[in-house]
Amino acid sequence: MRIIALITALLIFISLYLIFGYARIEGTMLEVQKIFYYHVSAALTVFVAFGVNCVFSIKYLIQRKPNDDLLAVAAAELGIVFCTIALLSGPIWARYAWNTWWNWEARLTSTLVLWLMYIGYFILRSALEGDRRRLYSAVLGIIAYLDVPIVYYAVDIWQGGLHPDRGTKWSLETTMQHTWMVALIALILLFTFLLMVRYRMKKAQARYAAIQQQHLTEASS
Amino acid sequence: MKIAILVSFLAVLITFFSVVQVPITLTSDEVAKAVSEATSASGVSVDEEVLERAVQLSVAKLEEGQRTRLKYLASAYLVIWLVFILYVLYLERQQQELDKRLAQLEQASEGV
Repeated sequence: MRIIALITALLIFISLYLIFGYARIEGTMLEVQKIFYYHVSAALTVFVAFGVNCVFSIKYLIQRKPNDDLLAVAAAELGIVFCTIALLSGPIWARYAWNTWWNWEARLTSTLVLWLMYIGYFILRSALEGDRRRLYSAVLGIIAYLDVPIVYYAVDIWQGGLHPDRGTKWSLETTMQHTWMVALIALILLFTFLLMVRYRMKKAQARYAAIQQQHLTEASS
Repeated sequence: MKIAILVSFLAVLITFFSVVQVPITLTSDEVAKAVSEATSASGVSVDEEVLERAVQLSVAKLEEGQRTRLKYLASAYLVIWLVFILYVLYLERQQQELDKRLAQLEQASEGV
């Protein structure tokens, strides 16, 4: 885990150097375009995070192992963190590019809906206990993931929005392409590292709850 | 981990201010000298005073634009790091709470 942490930290430093010192300044947005590198990378990391949540939710429904539920929750929590980053850095870009902080266009709206659905996931979890909590949140995790392809293909489904085509990020100038790839790998590694930390913490919390329950049972008998 | 995030936050600020092209304000003397050199090199007769004024206004406008763009860029990266820092602080608090509960549990089991 320490190795992942070190590589992640190193890649974050390299990505920041590349963003501010190596990548060419884009012709239309000029310096503001540099927001793109972390904004888009965070948005793609959201898909990975909620993807992990969906996979482990399905696994939980099949095998009913509580650890799968813990991993799914940890991934959902991180998905919300990265989604918050995308939702907060986006309006700063939008204010300069489109002269507005927010616009109810397809991709923005579907991303906000995605964020709200996973907030709902945690509200649901806090309202239930034990197996019911695990079961219902796994089902909701799978349903909420259906919004991810909608977010991704929103620019194709509802054409005429403010976001550029999906292919734009793959046709960047070489220095921009390199910078974006490093930033993306750095954020995905950061997600992986935080997921491991959070999962271990969740496992320890679950073990503590089990021991406490055992103590209470012993004391009452 | 908290330290790593805080250090990286500082790194964002330092990298930003050291590497990015911060606007350099040109003085009126520098503009006058550049205009004078340019007109004498080109050999075209122009009203140097008018040209100077035009150049000064253009430079001021360009600098203002760049300053605005840098503000947007800095705000975005500060917000991104702020979210990371808040999340790490949240994790830290959760860990502290867990450690405290485990210590209480240990004490309780020793008592039994």
